[in-house]
Amino acid sequence: MENEDVKLSSDFVSSFMNAFNEELPFNPFDLGVKVFGSPEKYYSALRKTAIEVARLKTEKELKREDRYGIMLLKALDELNNSINLLENKLEDVKEIKESEITKEMEEEIRRLKALRRELEGEIERVMEKIAPNLSAILGGAIAARLLEKAGSLEKLSMLPASTIQIVGAEKSLYKAMARMKKGKPAKIPKHGVIFQHPFIRTLPKKKRGKMARFMAAKLAIAARIDYFTGELREELVSEVRRKYEELSRS
Amino acid sequence: MKAKERVKESKKILHNVYLIEKGEKRILATKSKYGSHYGEKRFGEFREWIPTRSKLAAMLLKGYRVDIKPNWKVLYLGAASGTTVSHLADIVEKGIIYAVEYSAKPFTKLIELAEERRNIIPLLEDASKPERYSGIVEKVDFIYQDIAQRNQVEIFLDNIRMFLKEGGEGLIMVKARSIDSTAEPSEVFEAVLRRLSKQVKVVAHDSLEPYHRDHIFVHVRLE
Repeated sequence: MENEDVKLSSDFVSSFMNAFNEELPFNPFDLGVKVFGSPEKYYSALRKTAIEVARLKTEKELKREDRYGIMLLKALDELNNSINLLENKLEDVKEIKESEITKEMEEEIRRLKALRRELEGEIERVMEKIAPNLSAILGGAIAARLLEKAGSLEKLSMLPASTIQIVGAEKSLYKAMARMKKGKPAKIPKHGVIFQHPFIRTLPKKKRGKMARFMAAKLAIAARIDYFTGELREELVSEVRRKYEELSRS
Repeated sequence: MKAKERVKESKKILHNVYLIEKGEKRILATKSKYGSHYGEKRFGEFREWIPTRSKLAAMLLKGYRVDIKPNWKVLYLGAASGTTVSHLADIVEKGIIYAVEYSAKPFTKLIELAEERRNIIPLLEDASKPERYSGIVEKVDFIYQDIAQRNQVEIFLDNIRMFLKEGGEGLIMVKARSIDSTAEPSEVFEAVLRRLSKQVKVVAHDSLEPYHRDHIFVHVRLE
């Protein structure tokens, strides 16, 4: 390689961000040393630029990702509605007469279902990225629902366990509270969104409250770890699993 | 620190890595000029290396060594918040670590680490797309991977193909549950070993119990 072929970029940050290539026929380090004069100088410049780029990128990502997950979930809800509605209408039509157009409708519904699978996959992926601990305990879908109800990961991380336990059951909670105010007996809900989780759903009714309470306590911790450090702590999942096994045996 | 918990005896097992008898306990630690990064204890010139937090520490405590040299260039995939990277940076004090992490949240902590140390290049990139950082990462002596993803083996091999020097070493921490959550871990591990040995030489492997459940490490070499 001739020296006149390479020149120092005037904007390291944008060069760094665009440094994607097929496999290069040379080693970036050799070139870097040539241009910068020494390994120390090269690494120092590389590191400085890397940190600057990393800052820019994380800032941008952190702001957006939980909104993205929530919006995807809302889109998924709409899509589910549409699919159900269309399927019902299609049935109605088919009862009267099958035709070319009913086949086309069927085809369209199939396509929407494929899109639904893709959406679900993307939600899982996003949730695993922004909330690995919540996702590990709940699975991406339920974790996303919890996030949606809370509004943002920040808000979710500030909720106490007792609130997380009944997120999604607000209506029946307020109903119960209204009854209690009047001095009437009332049933306070023991689970909201998290009821969808098999660890709660599959337990006998009497034990669900205990499981929901335990899970909510772990979720509150998980949400805080997800929000503040974002590192997966596997012991949380195994504690929840152990509790479930204990409850389903006894 | 209590006075009687003084360091009784220490044994060097790698450059800047020591096994230390302290009170009743046996502790793994790296010699480090820097402060605590993830809540680990500092004593004297050492930083404790906690095996339940770092799979590399677990491997070392189980008695297996990869002879990491102080001047090695390292590509680290799945750096997270830099728990293991911080200790590895103590070891390769004359080398460099390209630390790749995909998730922005833990990455902020890694950036702090990179600011403190001189031998860490942080890269917020997807390790399954090595071409995205091929203009930055050079040929390295050692690739370490700890990412709990279904296709983690493919990702590891792709990066080896692009960045590992001939004769270079690789270390992959395999998590059975994330590759296939329904299959028996032993079956998953067998499949992983078969897949790896098609491309690289498998030098050794072992479980990381009791520190990490259903995990193994696999040490490979490119020949």
